[in-house]
Amino acid sequence: MRASFRNMAAALLVAAGIVGSLSNAAEAVTRGGTLVYGRYADSLFLEPVLNDANVDIWILSNIYDTLLLPTDDGKSVQPGLATAWKVADDGKSVTLTLRDNIKFSDGSPITAEDVQWSLKRAATPNNGIWQFMVESIDDVVIQDPKTVVLKLKHTDPAILTALTVFNTSIMPKKLFEAAPGATDADKAKAFAEHPVGSGPFILQSWQRNSEMKLVRNPYYWRQGEDGKPLPYLDGITFEVIPDDATRLLKLKSGELDGAEFIPYSRVEELKADANLNMVLFPSTRVEYATLNVRPKLSDGSDNPLSNEKVRQALNYAVDKDGIIQVVTHGVGTPMTSFMSTATPFHSGTTPLFPVDVEKAKQLLKDAGYPNGFKTSIFALSGNEDEINISTTLQQMWAQIGVTLDIQQVDNATRTAKYRAGDFTMRLGAWTDDIADPNEIASYFVYSKNIGALHTSWKNDEVDQLFEQSQQELDPKKRADDYAKIQATYNATGPIVPLYETPYPVALKKSVKGFVQIPLGNNIFSSTYIEK
Amino acid sequence: MAGLGYILRRVALMVPTLVVILVVTFVIVRSLPGDPASAMIGDRATDQDAARINAELGLDRSLPVQFIFFVERVFRGDLGTSFSIKLPVSEVIADRLPATLILTAMAAVFALLLAVPLAFLAAIKRNRVEDVAIRSAFQVGLSMPVFYTGLVLLTVLGAGLHWFPVGGYGDDLASHFYHLFLPALAIAVTLAAILMRSLRSAIITVLDAEYLDFARSKGLANRVIILRHVLRNAFISTVTLLGLHIGTVVGSAVITETVFAIPGIGRLMIDSIYARDYPMVQGLTLVLAVLVSVIFLATDLIQAALDPRIAR
Repeated sequence: MRASFRNMAAALLVAAGIVGSLSNAAEAVTRGGTLVYGRYADSLFLEPVLNDANVDIWILSNIYDTLLLPTDDGKSVQPGLATAWKVADDGKSVTLTLRDNIKFSDGSPITAEDVQWSLKRAATPNNGIWQFMVESIDDVVIQDPKTVVLKLKHTDPAILTALTVFNTSIMPKKLFEAAPGATDADKAKAFAEHPVGSGPFILQSWQRNSEMKLVRNPYYWRQGEDGKPLPYLDGITFEVIPDDATRLLKLKSGELDGAEFIPYSRVEELKADANLNMVLFPSTRVEYATLNVRPKLSDGSDNPLSNEKVRQALNYAVDKDGIIQVVTHGVGTPMTSFMSTATPFHSGTTPLFPVDVEKAKQLLKDAGYPNGFKTSIFALSGNEDEINISTTLQQMWAQIGVTLDIQQVDNATRTAKYRAGDFTMRLGAWTDDIADPNEIASYFVYSKNIGALHTSWKNDEVDQLFEQSQQELDPKKRADDYAKIQATYNATGPIVPLYETPYPVALKKSVKGFVQIPLGNNIFSSTYIEK
Repeated sequence: MAGLGYILRRVALMVPTLVVILVVTFVIVRSLPGDPASAMIGDRATDQDAARINAELGLDRSLPVQFIFFVERVFRGDLGTSFSIKLPVSEVIADRLPATLILTAMAAVFALLLAVPLAFLAAIKRNRVEDVAIRSAFQVGLSMPVFYTGLVLLTVLGAGLHWFPVGGYGDDLASHFYHLFLPALAIAVTLAAILMRSLRSAIITVLDAEYLDFARSKGLANRVIILRHVLRNAFISTVTLLGLHIGTVVGSAVITETVFAIPGIGRLMIDSIYARDYPMVQGLTLVLAVLVSVIFLATDLIQAALDPRIAR
């Protein structure tokens, strides 16, 4: 579990910066004010269980609250609505103690019934796409009004972490059930228009695709540095500004206090701006190309990518540092495993497949393609990064005789073809939603979920290791399982790993205590504006 | 004035147009590659997820059945529920339409305010310095893409001089006008360039017409001639052009709404197409089609009022 020194040093520096700004805050926190934050896209559906997009996930924790909370480094858990937790010796149940006097934002008490109902709803099969994170929950039993016991179908090393994830948010059972609609999905739609949770903020108004206003929840349980309840801010206004250039102009003109998704090309410029604090938050984001490894492509032709040596040749022919410079203007770092350095149980210390064109040529020759071959890649139309990556790959692979045809498609088209296995290569980006490697591994590696990123890659030993790791309670053994999974996948897997990138956020110098955790969640509970 | 019969005839003509538009939209949006489930849950979707979503959205039914449901609901005034934002389509459109309407109307007014006086000046000072200068300036306006004009305006008048907000829409009517000033101006620059060119030649044609000689020989004052004859005649072609180019304006609105972060239906349309949000795309197309038809109708009626020969 050693991160590369470079990444670790970067993460530590940022962490030190955050902790530093927080500890300064001890003397100087200021209360009040509304923070105006520029987002690249609006939320769609503010419902913990049935949402399916990052635009929702990454702000849900401001409105809803969970039994446990992730630590700021995203690697372990701390108390939330529950103050204590104990996993039984046999690993088959978890006993949780609820905090005293916890309330929803409408002032009504949070009861054990709410907890029971919320967790059972999240664990209901086919209720939303996040159920897999809590599939081990068999039953939720109320032992007494302050104690709830999760009965598990099998041991689950990630169950505590799962209790920090948005889909296990505690929701008011009575209010939800009183919402109009016949089905859970209909009620969820109605409820999410005026959500009631127990997070630090309350949704006050929402002008779709324009502006969302949150105000502070007076019933939030957490204490601030000054001994009074959080949050410090009176409210947050999210302004939706999809155009990068406009979002930056608005930030630089002082109309925004902060903005997300700063284009990599502008990071240096904003670092030099005396009024702004350009922060690169450590993330779990990885960018990679996915290769279809089926023996035949959908048009019936033979697929060179099914040959492991060909995939390795493609990997060795790519100069990752070159791509990082061209696409991320040096903001990214090369990948040392298919999962990010911020993902627990990440292993690997050196960049994968350092560029070696001669070795690539030799591998292609060994594989029976001495003169290369023609292939194609899907790039998301209008996405500057993907188009830059594709054209750079085109040039790099041309050196080993591989001709790359770049096909620009929109997201729905690409996804439909990808899911049907009707693709050759595509670019992709991934961020974890849970501070555990099980999510990325189940999608990238495990053949029985979505066929290893729909590539049809399959390794029985790795499948078996994954299944074993899903119930392994000993962290050391689990780390070993993951080390093996990563070693095999990194060497022979169906991807060309490209780079990891942090989350680029620019804030006014006066804004303190904001964190975007590696999972992407924007945490405003301890944010304040210095006067 | 145009007769009632003429108006009714024109309104009746709108009905088959709208029916054709309904059918075409229904078919086109469904023949796009990709599907709503893919757009919604993306890469991580399993086949079960996709099947569940298709069933929820009623997409597991056959196309004719879906179409009948759709048409039947439209006649009840129900445009369905958005796939992506889970709200009634009519509610979302009603919420987003005002921004685009105000933007388009402001752009049209700004364009007229720019084009009419300058076209006059150019026509009267034909081929002299003023004319050449005005025409060159508009040529530049015509060749600048709207998003570029928009960014220049934002950078200079917004972030630079702080005269206007950098994008956004504001909270009340007054601030809507304030926020939409720059985006309307960005659209107006291009639109005015289009109008100016034909308005100038229309004015020149009128100025050269024999009936003006007649009017002058009657001893009418120059001011009266300009108002009664030149302006009125030139206006007919301007109104026609403005009506015809309303499509261009709406098209520019799509880009302008993105650059200026305005929650209008142009951006909604683009987002909905990407999301394969069938009910939303259908609803928007229908509303836009009705709007454009109404604008064409209004154009015809104004023309008819200005030139009674048309209504016959």
